[in-house]
Amino acid sequence: MKISVQSKSGEHSFDCGEHETILHAGLRQGLNLPYECATGTCGTCRARAMSGDYESLWKEAPGAVRLKPEKGDILMCQTRARSDCVLRVPAETSVCQGTPPARRSGVIRNIEPLTKDVARFDLHLSDPMAFEAGQFIVVETPDLRGGRAYSMVNFESSAADRIELVLKQKPEGKFSAWLFGDRKREENVTVFGPLGRAVFRPNEDKDIICIAGGSGIAGMMSILERAICADYFKTHKGTVFFGVRSHADEFYLDELAEFVELSHGNLEVTIALSHEAPSSASHHEYPNLKLATGMVHEVAQKNLGGRGENAIAYIAGPPPMVDGAIRSLLSNGVTVGSIRYDKFS
Amino acid sequence: MSWTKICDASEVSENSVKKFSVNGFSVVVVNYGAGFRVIPPICPHMEEPLEESGVVVRCTLTCTKHLWCWNLQTLDMQGETEKPLKIYESKEEGGAIFANVEQELVYEFEDEGEDDDDFFK
Repeated sequence: MKISVQSKSGEHSFDCGEHETILHAGLRQGLNLPYECATGTCGTCRARAMSGDYESLWKEAPGAVRLKPEKGDILMCQTRARSDCVLRVPAETSVCQGTPPARRSGVIRNIEPLTKDVARFDLHLSDPMAFEAGQFIVVETPDLRGGRAYSMVNFESSAADRIELVLKQKPEGKFSAWLFGDRKREENVTVFGPLGRAVFRPNEDKDIICIAGGSGIAGMMSILERAICADYFKTHKGTVFFGVRSHADEFYLDELAEFVELSHGNLEVTIALSHEAPSSASHHEYPNLKLATGMVHEVAQKNLGGRGENAIAYIAGPPPMVDGAIRSLLSNGVTVGSIRYDKFS
Repeated sequence: MSWTKICDASEVSENSVKKFSVNGFSVVVVNYGAGFRVIPPICPHMEEPLEESGVVVRCTLTCTKHLWCWNLQTLDMQGETEKPLKIYESKEEGGAIFANVEQELVYEFEDEGEDDDDFFK
């Protein structure tokens, strides 16, 4: 089926298979369509179908609340074409400069709990995928509506056939239920990616600030690994704020401590505990990680000390934390154009 | 034209946004350091309440939801902002903020009105 897109920057067309969403079809063929979460929650990939038949995979998607289905409004990430379609997209589109995202199959293996409700797992890909630090993928299984977005934790300088992901268990999450339920299980899934524009490249020549809540640290780990591999902290400062509820909810401390060790004294990592007073006794193994009490964006606000002037900032976490973090960053001198995040929750 | 007192200037501290009711509708007063602006209480993008989502730094008002922002001195749109702010004419006099609020200023949103063929605006 042929999809024609009329956007603010002109007309494009691409083929769309029966089993893929319109967003995935456009992206994999190298057309930069607007999106952020690619999983039905943010609403960024809205479009209006002017003609053609299509099917919505998830009519109640949170990102669809402002749409008018009677006028043909759709979320491209949750819609499959049933005939040739003409769409109007209220945004800019462009041709992808790098390698476009693609669909792969993958096998989930090595599920290991990191805390009581966070686990890490490996995803072995059917063919290797090159990605930028900070990007994410969408994992699909037949019983998951919308797909789920996960940031890569690892970074590889060449295409990777194994990616590491972090999962937060949600009380009613089906996907997390089976991941936490049977750790020996290996599951075949479909993967689409890499996606996301909140990326880090060492040629940026700016300091880095990361503010992450809980499993939001995943993408920051990739960014820090990329920076360490390039010895970026020899000449730039890095400031990381990692928010968790209590000491029992901390994870990746060994890895963060190692990053600090390798940073020539230029990377500062603060663990912000929102629901417990910090105890240095429980942190004696990590003398180079700082501890603070409070919500992570408030801790960042107090400790950034105007260090944002020449920095790029990355944010990942639940929406109220993201809002608070933006506020903290702006008031510490970070400019709007230097704040990067992908809204996926 | 008539001037209506909105608040005392001291009620809105520097680099902050505060909501007030006048003539049966709401406005927000923004103190951007070099002056004050009186504007509708929502972001023209997706109706976020600016009293909560608005941040004022270096004369710029930013809505933290999707980072639309405006220079409050020049009223220039910055970054990826696509709609201008609507502004009530205002003045500071004798320690109070006055504005011309005879007519409520409202933004047009896509999902209002009979037709919204301005999908691309």
